Amino acid sequence: MQTNISELRKKIGITQEELAEKVGVTRQTIISLEAARYNPSLLLARNITVALKQKYIENVFDIK
Amino acid sequence: MIGKSHWFKRRKYSGWGVVPATWQGWVYTVVMISPLVFLSFVQVNEAVPAILIIWVIVFAIDMADIMIRLPQDERERQHEATAERNALWVILAVLATGIAFETAQTAVKGKDILVDPVIIIAILAGLIAKAATNWYLDRHN
Repeated sequence: MQTNISELRKKIGITQEELAEKVGVTRQTIISLEAARYNPSLLLARNITVALKQKYIENVFDIK
Repeated sequence: MIGKSHWFKRRKYSGWGVVPATWQGWVYTVVMISPLVFLSFVQVNEAVPAILIIWVIVFAIDMADIMIRLPQDERERQHEATAERNALWVILAVLATGIAFETAQTAVKGKDILVDPVIIIAILAGLIAKAATNWYLDRHN
């Protein structure tokens, strides 16, 4: 699974720490998500999508 | 309760339980442990052992509360579950091997087989805990 979290996060100008705080996870989890090492739950994926001001989960997570 | 869970973090590489993560956590730990150390060495009067027992119970309940409320995200929970499962498998493998070895050794020597009942009770308690957890999860998750 590929993610665009890093690009979208930088686009809206927030840090990993701020994104982590917004979605209620640790910064380490955001690092793992950006590196595509961790597959999030549907709820976390949805929360990240909302936090990154995106409409669709597919814009953030590319499931192949 | 007295302590706050965000003062602590889960012990990951050095056993079980929690370790202080903030200065408040260290202050809490020192404040809770120092009376135990002091009272166990200084026999002030007859009421001291009772105070000591009450203090230990309060401390144990508060630590349990801190551990239950410890903030964890889904990735940390997943990691903890896997690490705890692996630890349990290793413990069970060592116990089973040890019991088998001791049983074989005593059988060869023609002596009565002696297995510490505490070990058997611990394994049975674990079995019950596992069954209860699966029973609960099957109905609620």
